[in-house]
Order: sequence, then structure tokens, then C-alpha cells
Amino acid sequence: MSRLARQTAVIARRDFVATVATPTFLLFLLAPMFMILFGLVGGLGASHMASGASGRAQIAAIADDATAERLRAADRALRATYHPQMRPADLRIEASQADPAAQARALLAERDKDIYAVLYGPLERPTILREATSERSAPYLAFLAEQVLRADRAGLAPDAALSRPDIQSVSRAAPSRTGRQSTGFAAIFVVFFLTLLLAGQAVGMLAEEKGNKVIEILAAAVPLEAVFLGKLIGMFGVALLFIAFWGAMGLAGFRLVPEGAMALAGATPAIGWPLFLVFGAAYFTMAYMLLGAVFLGVGSQASTVREIQMLSLPITIFQFGMFGLAAVANGPGSPLALFAQIFPFSSPYAMAAHGATDPRIWPHLLALGWQLVWVALTITAAARFFRMGVLKSGPGGFRWLRRPAVTPDSLTPM
Amino acid sequence: MSESAAVRATGLTKYFGGKTAVDGVDLSVPKGMIYGVLGPNGAGKTTTLRMLLGIIEPDKGSRAIFGNPRPRAVGDRVGYLPEERGLYPAMKAREAIAFMGALRGLDWAEGRARAAEMLDNAGLGHAIDSKIKQLSKGMAQLVQLLGSIVHKPDLIVLDEPFSGLDPVNQERLEALIVAEQARGATILFSTHVMAHAERLCDRLAIIAGGRRRFEGTVDDARARLPMRAVYTPRAAGADLARLLPGDAEQVGDSWRFTLPDDGIEPLLGTLIAGGHGIAGLSIERPRLHDAFVRIVGRADAGDVE
Repeated sequence: MSRLARQTAVIARRDFVATVATPTFLLFLLAPMFMILFGLVGGLGASHMASGASGRAQIAAIADDATAERLRAADRALRATYHPQMRPADLRIEASQADPAAQARALLAERDKDIYAVLYGPLERPTILREATSERSAPYLAFLAEQVLRADRAGLAPDAALSRPDIQSVSRAAPSRTGRQSTGFAAIFVVFFLTLLLAGQAVGMLAEEKGNKVIEILAAAVPLEAVFLGKLIGMFGVALLFIAFWGAMGLAGFRLVPEGAMALAGATPAIGWPLFLVFGAAYFTMAYMLLGAVFLGVGSQASTVREIQMLSLPITIFQFGMFGLAAVANGPGSPLALFAQIFPFSSPYAMAAHGATDPRIWPHLLALGWQLVWVALTITAAARFFRMGVLKSGPGGFRWLRRPAVTPDSLTPM
Repeated sequence: MSESAAVRATGLTKYFGGKTAVDGVDLSVPKGMIYGVLGPNGAGKTTTLRMLLGIIEPDKGSRAIFGNPRPRAVGDRVGYLPEERGLYPAMKAREAIAFMGALRGLDWAEGRARAAEMLDNAGLGHAIDSKIKQLSKGMAQLVQLLGSIVHKPDLIVLDEPFSGLDPVNQERLEALIVAEQARGATILFSTHVMAHAERLCDRLAIIAGGRRRFEGTVDDARARLPMRAVYTPRAAGADLARLLPGDAEQVGDSWRFTLPDDGIEPLLGTLIAGGHGIAGLSIERPRLHDAFVRIVGRADAGDVE
């Protein structure tokens, strides 16, 4: 066993050094920077456009001066109950002219402003014209009219308030179930996102050795299992370096906006933050190893770079599938959740979320052991397929159908 | 260890698809010997070596290295130069050798130290810190060979080690093989060039068409063919052909024939008595190449040189 570990370490070390000590690695490491940069630029542009658009948008009411004042008061009161980003378009009040219907149509046809809806006529029977695509402005105007009429009938002044609420802020002692589930989903997403970014590389890892024939040296000197595991660990080292780098950058970023970090923290998971993070790291390792082993095994069968490129789509879809399974099943107790937790390739995702809602520790130890077994199984299977398909050894394919019967004692003991 | 053979194989058989690549090959390589596996390309030499090393499993038969039926278990005592050469192009020569040693259980630092020393001795001292892709093909091959013996293995398996090397480097390689034997290693190599085998091998096996056709020393192989004499008479005459053995053929002034079973002396007596005299006489041992062609047949001899 120690020999296998030593051989694995030799392969892992070579791969890690060979990957990190290249200029391409810098590009890989800094790639998210471009993403963030483009994201910032795009986000700024989009928000600029959005704010510009909302500034121009209006809803209108055609009314005489007395009604206008009361409509404005109702609008102020109602508007204050909205979240700033969800508020209706600004209210504009036009003095009534000879033909309010024609006036309303003219308003809707205005070019330099977006007018979503126009109200005219008596408040008891108002007519509201609205743009075909605008659905919420018309009911809002109707409700304003209703409010003004109700205040009139009750004989209330426009800004009079009948009740004086006493609003108190209370923080919950026990986080809500939904809060915890969203923490769980965040865990699934983080583990998935990192695996998607980093594990896909495994598919092309044996291409180099097959291309330059080094595989012959490796296969002669060490078991293929050690080659596969070593390559996975080497690439995992690269992934950890990547995460450490961006983790440090992220922490530095959060230090600048501590309030943001607090808001992101969300609901405390049932097993507590330290354990949740430790298990999260362990599940990321398992997800990387499991999916990496599958990709490495599949990729090792490919004989050309073109085939490897073709494989990257099904591989991404497979990852999304596992993510979807774990995300859909994010909620304790359902049979689907249990399935996602047991099925080896979705298990790391599902179990990463499980700690958010379930305070028990033992399911995690069980799951990690189970996943470890599957890592070993997958690597063994990948090595075996490689031996059969590429090195043409062992009881491969359907050859046994055609081969003359072999007596057991003539076989090499292995 | 009581096992006297470094490598022993019985009835090794391998099928590829419907074709039999290796058909019941027996092999026994005594410790401390230089052993050659000879045969034309496609004879099954590489497949045999790969089965011996446990890179692929035989479909039938068994093999043992140092008495161990699982060759991979003793992998750290074995060095192997595959026929398909290959190193990581971006690795430096010293690192490549140390890496190959590390795969076989040698400490990295020790491997690097030995690598520098070996490269110096092989006349490649200037290339210690060169990347493999900067070396010529022959130099890279030499680096790979050094990498396969850097951990001082007890058994060295070389698959067509001479191919791709220029004559100077071929000579270096021969010296290296002899030096490794002097260190106590057993060397098993395959080749389709008879000259190397003739100079180096203590014993050899000839494989053709997936079967072992011969096993023994170089002399044993040559003994398969009778010695040949080349005789130049001082005075040729019409009756000369009658005095010589039946297979004699004239080549210029000389005659070539198979050495008679009772030796050359009675024939010489007859020739001198007949007044033909002796201007030249040589008795030639058959070359390994001739023995090889005789053993496998001209049709199967393929590209053997």
C-alpha cells in the first residue's frame, strides 16, 4: 500500500509541477478576473440602461386640480409601501381638456416618454387606457381612484392617518427552514460551480501521455490505478491552488464590505458553520475525485484531441444533471432527496446541502466513506477499461466469445 | 533467493483480435547474462517482453521475474526501455531521469545526483539542464535509457535499444550494456540486428511468427550451419572440380564449399598430390545472420539485418 501511495505521489507531483510551471497556468489562474471584469462592465451598463428607462417611464391621470391633489396624496402613501426597485412608474397629472379621451390617447402616443397607462373620466367610473405590455400600471391607477373616493366618503383629509403602527424588529433565534434550505442550495451551487470549473480538465489529462508515448513508461513502472489517482491528485492540487488564490482575493474583497459578508452569511446551518464548511470542503474533494475519475476514464479512451473536445459537452451535461438532481432534491425527507444522497455521483452535492437542515453528524461520515468507495471503484474501472481498450490486455471486449476455452490452471495467477 | 533464472516463462500466448501474436513461447534467462531475443519486426518480440514485464497479461501461459509470478510486484528491481520511446518534452534531462527513477522507487534527490553523473559519463554533460524537446532524437533516446537504469535495477529489459542510434551511440550503448552486466545486472534485449546480438549475447532466443524457433548460445546457433572453406589453388586445372566436394562453387579464382565431415586435411592432401597447390585457404565460421536465416527460413527472416 505504501508503495502504491509513493507511486501515486510521484505521478501527482510531476503533474502538479508540469501544470503550474507553465505560462498557461497564469492565464488559467487569472481567467476569473476577466469574467469579473466583463461582469462588472456588463452590470454597470445594464443598470445604467435600467435606471434610464425607469426615469422616463410614467403613468398619467387626467383630473381637475382638487382631484389631482388627492390622487397625489394617495400615490405618496401607497408608493411608500413598495421596495425602491419595485415602485410603479412616476405619476403625472394633466389638467383636463375638452376631450379627455383624445387627450389620453395623445398622451399614450407621446414619443419622448414611456407612458404605461392613462386614467381619465369621473373617479366613480374611470376609464383607463394602458399599453398592451403593461399589466400592473392600470390596476394601480384604479386603486388610487378607489382610495381617493373612499377617503372622500369618510370625509378624511388627504394625508390623515387613522392608525399609528408600532413597528419592532425581531431577529429569529431558530433560523427558518427556508433559510436553511437556501443555505443548503448555496452549498450545492458552490460545490457544483467549483467542480464544473475545475474537474472538466480531467478529460484531457491522459492525452499528453498517449501522444508522447510516456504512457508506456508509466504503465511499465507503476500500476495504472496509481497513474490515474496520481493524475487526479495532481490536478486537484492545481484546483486547490486556484481556490486558495481566489479565496484569498474574495476574503480581501469581503473585508472592504463587511455588511455584505454578514448579509451573505444567511441562516446558520443545523450542524453549525465550522463543521458545515469542513464537510463542504470534503464533499468538494469527493465531487472532484468522483467526476474527475469518470472524465479521466472516459477521456483516456479517446484517441484524438477532436474526440476529447467532442466529449466535453456530454461531460458538462452530466455535471449539470448531477447538480440538478441534488438541487431538486434539496429538502430533507423526500425519496428523491434520499436517492440524490445515495447515488454516488450526486451524493457529494446533495450531502453538502444536507448539513444545513440536519444536525446529525453520522450521515456525513457514512456518505464520505461511501463516496470514497466509489472513487476507488471508478478509478479501478477506468484503469481496467484503459488496460483493455488501449493496452489491449486482459479479458477485453467480446473476445471470450471466440476464444478457445482456457483451463483455469493455465492462467497466470494474479 | 533460490531461483536461478532472472526471467522464466512457459507457454506464453497472446491473441490480438483473431490473430495469435505470440504462440506458446518458453524462455529462461539466467541471472547475470546478456540475453537476446532475436526476430524480424512483427515476430512478437515486443508483445513477449510486455507480457514478461506484466504490462499486458498473457492469454495463456505463465511467467515469473526473480521467481515472482507477479512481475509488477518486483517492478522496482526492473528497468525497461520501451520500443516506443517517449519522454515529457518540457522536462529537463536531469528531471526526466530522476522522474523515471522515482517511478521505480528511487529518491528524487538521489536520482538527480545520479542523473548528472550518468549524463556526464555518457558525454551529455552539456545537456543536463536542457529540455527534452531541445535534444536530438538520439540524445533523447540515450536520456531515456539512462532513466531506465538510474535506479540500478537487477533486470534490464531493452526493446530494440539500438534502433534510432547512430553508430557512435550504438557503440556507447554496447559499452553501457557490458558495464551493467559487470555491475551484476541481467540484461534482456530484443533486436532485429544480428551484429549486436553476435557481439553481446551470452544466450539468445530466436522468435519468428510468434513462436520460439531456437534457444542457446551464439555458438550453438552457428553450429546449426556447417563451416565453410574458401580455397584458392596455385594452379587451376580441369580435374580440380572433380576433387572438391559436390557443393563447391567457383567465385573468381577461389572455390567455396562446405567443410567435409572428416575435416579439411584429407582433402588438402588430395589437392597437393594433384599438383594444384594452395595459394589461399580460409575456413569460415557461419555468421549469426546465416544461422538465423537457416533457422527461421528465408521467407520468415523478414527485415533482419
